[in-house]
Amino acid sequence: MRGDGMITAGIDVGSTTTKAVLLGKDGIYSYSVQATGIDIPEATEQVLGESLAQANLSFEDIAGIVSTGYGRISIPFSSQTITEITCNAAGVHHLFPNATLVVDIGGQDSKAIKMDKKGRVRQFAMNDKCAAGTGKFLEVAAQTLRVDVEELGKTSLESKNKITISNTCTVFAQSEIVSLIARKTEKEDIAAALHESIGSRIYGLINSVYPEPKAEIVLTGGVARNIAIVKLLERMTGRMVMVPENPQIVTALGAAILARKVN
Amino acid sequence: MEKILDKFKEFCMQPYDRAVEWKDAEPNRKVIGCIPMYFPEEILHAAGVLPVTLYGSDEPITMGEHHLMNNACHQVRSTFDSLLKGKYDFLDGVAALHVCDQVRFFLEVWQLDHPFPFFHEMWRPYRLDNTNRPFLTSELKRLISHLESFTGTEITIEAIRNSIGIYNESRYMMRKLNDIRRERPGIISASDMVCTVTSSMLIPREEHNQLLRELLSRIDNVLTPEDQRFKMVIIGHLCDAPDEGLLNLIENEGLSLIDDDFITGGRYYAVDVNPDGDPIESFADYYMNMIPCTTYHYVDCWRGDSDKYSPYADYTIDMLKKGQAAGIVILRAMYCDPFDMEFVLLRERLKEENIPFLALFIEKGSGSMEAVRTRVQAFVETL
Repeated sequence: MRGDGMITAGIDVGSTTTKAVLLGKDGIYSYSVQATGIDIPEATEQVLGESLAQANLSFEDIAGIVSTGYGRISIPFSSQTITEITCNAAGVHHLFPNATLVVDIGGQDSKAIKMDKKGRVRQFAMNDKCAAGTGKFLEVAAQTLRVDVEELGKTSLESKNKITISNTCTVFAQSEIVSLIARKTEKEDIAAALHESIGSRIYGLINSVYPEPKAEIVLTGGVARNIAIVKLLERMTGRMVMVPENPQIVTALGAAILARKVN
Repeated sequence: MEKILDKFKEFCMQPYDRAVEWKDAEPNRKVIGCIPMYFPEEILHAAGVLPVTLYGSDEPITMGEHHLMNNACHQVRSTFDSLLKGKYDFLDGVAALHVCDQVRFFLEVWQLDHPFPFFHEMWRPYRLDNTNRPFLTSELKRLISHLESFTGTEITIEAIRNSIGIYNESRYMMRKLNDIRRERPGIISASDMVCTVTSSMLIPREEHNQLLRELLSRIDNVLTPEDQRFKMVIIGHLCDAPDEGLLNLIENEGLSLIDDDFITGGRYYAVDVNPDGDPIESFADYYMNMIPCTTYHYVDCWRGDSDKYSPYADYTIDMLKKGQAAGIVILRAMYCDPFDMEFVLLRERLKEENIPFLALFIEKGSGSMEAVRTRVQAFVETL
């Protein structure tokens, strides 16, 4: 056994991926990410099992588990459920102790969180009723453009002509892409317009939490790996954007941190 | 007590059954539908008419969408949908106070497309001060004479005073019930409180008063476990009753709603009408002394020494202090422009005063309850 009872786990069941982080006294021991699918208990068992195997630990070594994300209530072995907003803030505060502004862009959810210097949530805003401005938007667009979603950001950076795509609805944007393809618009230009669209959505979300004027943005969630989004947000907001080494597991990390307090 | 609350809930679930039954019981009885908010029901009551408030429905809007712009609020679209589906066929007329432009325009479409024997739109000045009082009293007189010619019966001063007394008793009992809720959180759920007030606007008021009297006589014997939840006030300028599931969700996630300013709540029973003196003047006073509302302006709002002055913010903060609540939940009805404008001032004040608040955009029949749950839980975690 390692960690003398201080090992905690955070499990973040998102709409697209499920993440587990094992945290010990001296930092992250291991983590695992996989598609959520339709069987949430199975997905969580798998990510947790994989993390335990990587760290050479067993379930009994874990002192506490906090689950978070949309599927948080369906995890039978967690000690407590805490929303992804609080967990995300805790994770970001751990990595960037001076951060006061977080933008998390997940599969079907994007949120802006304003926090104090102690990592406590002061205000938050989430996308309402619609997946425009989320990872799903990029996923649908990438499928339509026949581009790997991981490559969509890089593709957009090669754009030479500026065009505009509606930012109001993912499904309508998809039909717009089809019309643009039919008109032989370059896919790089379409990709750039899509990023502009998602960027303006996120910019609106940031403004709705009234961030401190010079606060830097910590960008988390799977979409934070998209370099075009990072550049775009820096340009639109005039703020520096910082991305953690592994942005997708920040919320699960926050859950593991909060699990220390639970026990 | 539970049985009476269940009864109130039944009235809300079948909102017009009792009105239809009442109308059919005797010949020549008339029922008039009132569009929320603030229509002087007492005057209809004094004319021997049963006023019922029209709240639309929770059903999907399948017909109303084609007649109105889809950026009209849900209450307006849903009410029009109910009209087109024949749910208001039992009505003899429709009456409304001009509270916002959406209500005004949809009523004009209503009157043109589906005229009713009695149609009355009462105009209330936006700016409530004494310079407009003569206009307000003339509007009250116009309503009375219109009703007299519709029913063929004179509305006497005694009849109006009697009706005012019945409605004042109703408001008094609702205020008392709310006082008990504030003092003993958890004794009545927010959704039951809303059903209690909403049902009063759907059935003969004397019957509702009788049920409320019984409820209040039994409430002292009801035991409530210590409420561990955070005390909250809930506000929002909804013209219809807030969704029962939404209120239950908020209360089940660790917040105890102890006061509100809904039109199906505090806003409805806050102010009485003076039962003595000239009834016209009493109603004018009633409108002048109404609690702050985003659909009209007080003279104080025009005093010019501060652009940010919001009597509504004062009112809600007082409500919070009175109930020693930890914060405010704000329900923002989608496409309600009067409240959207007020919300800006309100939010600034709440931030200045460091009052925790959660603002939720809501629209009946749309949006995900799970997304709301996450917001409510996250808010609770910040407290």
